[in-house]
Amino acid sequence: MNKATVFIHVQGRPGIVEAELPLTASLDDIRDLLKAQDVDVGEDFAIFVDERDDHEKDGKKPIEGLKHGSRVHVTRCKKIKVTVHYLDKTIHQHFAPGARVRTVKHWAVRDLKINPTDAGEHILQLCNTTVQPPTDTPLSELVHGHDCELCFDLVPEKRVEG
Amino acid sequence: MTVAIPPDRLLLEADLAAPAFRCGQIEGKWQHVATAWPRVTIAVNAAQRVNAPKAYGFRFECSGYRQTPPTAQPWDIDNNKPLEPSRWPAGRLLVPAVFRPDWKGGQCLYLPCDRMSIEGHGDWAHKHPNRLWQPPRGIICYLEQIHDLLNQDDYTGVRGA
Repeated sequence: MNKATVFIHVQGRPGIVEAELPLTASLDDIRDLLKAQDVDVGEDFAIFVDERDDHEKDGKKPIEGLKHGSRVHVTRCKKIKVTVHYLDKTIHQHFAPGARVRTVKHWAVRDLKINPTDAGEHILQLCNTTVQPPTDTPLSELVHGHDCELCFDLVPEKRVEG
Repeated sequence: MTVAIPPDRLLLEADLAAPAFRCGQIEGKWQHVATAWPRVTIAVNAAQRVNAPKAYGFRFECSGYRQTPPTAQPWDIDNNKPLEPSRWPAGRLLVPAVFRPDWKGGQCLYLPCDRMSIEGHGDWAHKHPNRLWQPPRGIICYLEQIHDLLNQDDYTGVRGA
């Protein structure tokens, strides 16, 4: 199979786009594909595949790591600065745009030395909101505007009752 | 004679073909099994546990979709019948609060996004705002909650294991 179905998210645009691309697709191919859908991706955007830290810079070179089902993140953020608040502690770390919320939680639990039982009963909630994104959500889908920062509170997950 | 397809069915079919659902399907989070309108059966994958299935079936009743939330019943896909209570998912704290065979005769999940369960629970709107039904997101909103529950540490496997 030399073609792959991929899912493209462009920073600042809601939802994802499904596309079929050759496994050897380049940055320019993705730009052309988006342009055909009236999405203009400027030179300040970088393209990341799945949770990879690095991004392709050469427009003509095949994008490394592209596979069937890949998530392609078209973003201005080369890294996303994440802050997590837990009780009286605050920690920071930089993540790849495609890193999932689950990855952030694992890092926070490890860094804050939270025991596994407590960790299982806590969830990441976007600061100053009641939004608790599904753990599979890539960080790039949560940033707004030109920001490359996210803030979470690690809060107890409420049991459904009543 | 042409039979018009009702708008709720059209909306659901569009959502099952939309990138958000297809992405979850290719990532192995869920799989559309069958539609017998207004019921849709979807299998949701679960984390690996001893003697537990790889996925659980759910039969969603979707009349009035998307303005009206669906209701979902754990479903035995092989035998096309409600899942025996002994085969429902189990857990320590969060999972058993949602998968309750004792609630409404096992016809739905105890979740604020469920049509049957939200009835009479006006306080859930402020207690569990993140778990409410979101019409613009459609069935993905319900599926993501089930998938997260079945793939977190709290999930321990099947009740009867």
